[in-house]
This record gives sequence, C-alpha cells and structure tokens, in this order.
Amino acid sequence: MRGIIHSVRAALRFRGYKPQPLSWLSARRWIKQFDKKDRVLAKQLLDNVIYLSEATTREILVGRNAVLMKRLNEAGLPAKNLIYVSVHEAGSSSPVMLNLLRDAAFLEKLGCRLIDGRDTLNLVKAMNELGEGALIYVDDFVGSGTQFCTERDFIANNFVGTFSEFMLAPSICEEAFEKLDERGIQAFAGHKHVKSERPLHPECPVFDESQRQRVAAICKGIDKFGLGYKGLATMVVLYRNAPNTVPVMLRGNVNQRPYFGIFPRTIDLPLPS
Amino acid sequence: MPTLKPTQPAVPQIVPTGKLRHLTTREVIPSNSNPRHLFDPEQLLELKNNIGEHGVLVPITVYQAKGQAKFSILDGERRYRCVVELEKEGHAGKAGGALTLPANVVEPPTKIAGLLYMFSIHNYREGWELMPTALGLKIVMEDLGTTDNKALVKLTGLSEPQIERCKKLLKFPEKFQEMSLDLDPKTRIPSNFWIEALPVLDLALETSEQLKKLGRDRSTEKLVDKYRNKKIKSVIHFRRIMEAYDLWEDDAPTRAKVLRRVEEFFLKPDLETRDAFDEFVVEKKRVQNALTACEEFLSQLRKYKLTYTTNEDERSNLRKALHEVQAYCESLEHALEGSDDPEAQHD
Repeated sequence: MRGIIHSVRAALRFRGYKPQPLSWLSARRWIKQFDKKDRVLAKQLLDNVIYLSEATTREILVGRNAVLMKRLNEAGLPAKNLIYVSVHEAGSSSPVMLNLLRDAAFLEKLGCRLIDGRDTLNLVKAMNELGEGALIYVDDFVGSGTQFCTERDFIANNFVGTFSEFMLAPSICEEAFEKLDERGIQAFAGHKHVKSERPLHPECPVFDESQRQRVAAICKGIDKFGLGYKGLATMVVLYRNAPNTVPVMLRGNVNQRPYFGIFPRTIDLPLPS
Repeated sequence: MPTLKPTQPAVPQIVPTGKLRHLTTREVIPSNSNPRHLFDPEQLLELKNNIGEHGVLVPITVYQAKGQAKFSILDGERRYRCVVELEKEGHAGKAGGALTLPANVVEPPTKIAGLLYMFSIHNYREGWELMPTALGLKIVMEDLGTTDNKALVKLTGLSEPQIERCKKLLKFPEKFQEMSLDLDPKTRIPSNFWIEALPVLDLALETSEQLKKLGRDRSTEKLVDKYRNKKIKSVIHFRRIMEAYDLWEDDAPTRAKVLRRVEEFFLKPDLETRDAFDEFVVEKKRVQNALTACEEFLSQLRKYKLTYTTNEDERSNLRKALHEVQAYCESLEHALEGSDDPEAQHD
C-alpha cells in the first residue's frame, strides 16, 4: 500500500514531464525493477529530485530576467542594448528556453536582440552596432559549466565593444558558478544546485556511506558513466528533459533497455515503431 | 573609401588617468582576449617574488562595464596573475585579509580602442586563428574610413603582411568566414585555408569556362569539400598549384596542361593535390638552385668589398638595388615561414 501511495505521489509531483509522461503505474514499474532491498534507496533518490515544471521554469526565468533587466537599466543599459544568446546547438535546451523567455517576457517587443551563440558573425555585428551592452546567455541548466565556458571562450575572441555578461538559467550547479565567476559572467539562477542536495555526493546527508556506495554501484552497473556527465549526479530535472548529469538510475539506458528510467531523456527513448 | 593618412589623429587613448582603488583579485577579471600563453614563466616568477616582498607598487588599470560587478583588466595582467598565485600559496594582505591590487579605474575603452588592444594581444599569440583579427580589422576600416595598409599598420600595430592576409579573408563571403568561427575544432576550417585558396580560385575562375559557369561560391565549396575529405591534406599544398602554373610560364603546352589539371582538380572530388600537381613541380632541384644562388650572390658581393663610394648617384643606385633585394628576400622568407602550416596546432 505504501508503495502505491509513493507512486501516486511521484506521479502528481512530476506531472508534466514531457519526454515520457509519468503515471503512478509507470512509477510503480520503475521501482519494481530494482531488488527489494534496493527499493527504499531508489525511493529516497526519487524523493530528492528537484523538479522544475514548465510553469516554475517560466516563472523563474521571467522573474530573474526582470531583476536583471531592471539592474541593467539602472546601470544605463536599456533593453535595446541587451543581446540574449542561446548557447549550444539548435534543438538543445538553450534555444527552447530563450524562446520561452522571449514570449513570456516580450523580449522582442522591448527591443532586445536574440542571437544564436554559434552564429558568431551576427553576434559580432550586433555587438559592433551597439558598442556597449550586455550579453545574456540563456539555458535551462548548467552542470559543470565546462562545455559552456569552452564555447564562450572561443566566441569571446571575437567580442567587440564593452559588454557585461550574464548567465540566466533556472538552475545552475555550484561547480559552474566558479567557472562563470572567473570569466566575470554573473549567474542569474533561480536555484543554485549545491552538492549537499545530491544524495550521491559525500556532502549530502541523505544516504550513509554504504547506502551511497550501493546506489552508485547500481548506477555504474547500468552504465559505466552511471553517475552522469563528470560524475556530478545532479538531481535537477526539468519538465522538458533530464540533464545528462542526472544519475542513470533515474534516466535509464539508451533505448530504455534493460533499465528504463523514470525521467528518460528524449534521446534515450526508443523510436516509435 | 577615403584613405586615412598616417598623420591623422590617432585613435582614442586606452589608458586615461582614473580613480585609484584597492581591489581584491575576486573583484577583477582578466581580459576577454586574455593571452594565456603569453607570459614568460621565469619573468613571471621574478615579478611574483618581487610582489611577494614589496607588494604591487604600480597600479593596474581596470574598467567596469555597465552592469558588471567586477572590473576588467586593461593593463596589468601579469601583476594580477602574480597576486592570484601568491594567494594560492597562502600569502595574505595586511591584518591577515585578502591581498589587494592598487588599481586605476578608468572609463571603459571605446570600441576602436578595445579592438586595438585586441590586435596587440593577437600579435603576440602564436598559432592564432586570424579570422577574429580580420573581423576586427573590418570594423576598424569601416569606422575609421581607411583601407590603406600603411595607415592600418600604424593604427593597429599589425604587420603589413598580416593586414594583407586579413583582407584576403574578408574577400570571402560571410558563409565561408563563418566556417573559420565554427566552435567545433574538428569541423572548423582554418583561416589559412582561405588565404592559400584565394589565388587558386582566382586562377581557376579566370581560366576555366566550366568553373566560371559553376560560379565562385560553388567552386569554393568544392575546395572546402575536398579539404574536409582530406583530398587537400595541407593548405600549403595550394601553393603547389600556383607553383605549377608559374613555373611553366614559358612553356605554353605544359601550362595548358596545368590549367586543365586545375579544372580537373576542382571537378573531381577524389583527386588529391599532390597527386594532381607534383608532376609539374620539381621542388628539390629548385630549392638546391636557390641555395646555390644565395651562396654565389653573397660571395660575389663580399668580393667587391664595397663599404663606400664617392659617387652620389652610384651610391643611390646601389642602395636602391640592395633595398629591392632586401624586400624580395624578406617577402620570400615570410612566405616560407612555418606558421602557415595548417597542420600546426592552433589553440
């Protein structure tokens, strides 16, 4: 009975997860694929997921953006001097977040510019036209920050004029804060994802050492990189996807075999027959 | 576009006087064009020891971009790095607090001043991709209304050959320029590709009716495809094509054959550069002949023991001739520089 209640709660809590909608039955099936003695650990892991629904994501982005725009306006940078930049390739989360923000915050109407960060020439042109302003990178989640910083450093060789830089995202890992800070990029996040929120990190009190090792072993048994990219084992899941830093126990295998995840990434799902 | 004479007023100064403040390293960020490999480690160590003993005596120069919480360095990157290193080693400031740097806070540089600063950094970096410099130069040329090489040399501190190379890059349509700005180094086309390909494209489009019909962009795309498919193994090999063409200037049938091969090279995706043109270029013998010519030239000149002449006209003529030799030798030496090697690692 307690298992059913847990599954129903999970289905309610994580409703709106787009790649694969969650029902209490699928939550139940997910739990049941683990050995009985491991199910408590799986439930605890699931309970510590920080889920950002579409409404919350929008609310955070719009709210943080409003604070940022106000601050920049006070500093002498009106909306027309702001360039919003999507990072990573088309089809990734960043352009989706930027579109969401554009519509919800009326960015175009306010005179802001929106540019794909990979379109370096147009970015240079816009910076050249403005002379001074702010570059606001938009993404859904920043994990280690390595990929973003590598790309940004390459683009930065072309920067023209005087621009302050910001990263706007619903959630940013504490590891990324340092990397962003080194470059003078100010993080505007709704949530700073600290290590103590991640049950598979020694700083987090959720599991004791043996439990943590057991969960890590299950993850690595599914996939040798089972703790997620760079072993971050982050716990933030967004409505449209789970970052690749989320433990594989939650995400499942590619094609969802032999393990299926409760939060599969779109690219992990099998093609419809 | 009007030409800016070198005597016209220079660009705005980058370092005017400003307010003096004492900043911690947490309040400072290095420049965007930060030349991470620029500093000599030995000199840096000497400076660090000096700063460790006496502190930073000469203020660094910083500015604060609007909306930016931190200060960006305009001048004093080495001092900043030394203080960062000292902090890592456990050095503390007065009363055990954080180490601080005296800093002149100035107004943010103008767009042009910022670009000129970027040029000075690019100048120092080895293996630097030239496209960002070219794009910056385009802005400088448009804003200051000059395309004159000498004026640009004076303004930017770039060498004339560098400026020429940038101009060659700017001759390509933006869609090709973008390929050198690709974030993925595996698919990025090096700037040198365009510089080396330009004379070959000019030649091919001037001489081949088929390529004329195909158009410049499509012909360029064919070269890009070849490069991506490793049929142009090194961009230096473009020079073999031009060599093959130049070498047979006095032999019409062979030159015609070279031109047919050039057309074939564009149109046949699998034809590799060296396979196509090596037969026309007998490199080893030419290099040997050039070496012998250098030795003979020097030996002859030394024999004359000419250090002065009383005849003003003769002296002037000789100096002019020597200048010509010098200029040619310099251009040749520059053309043979290893930095053009596309297979050299870029950072």
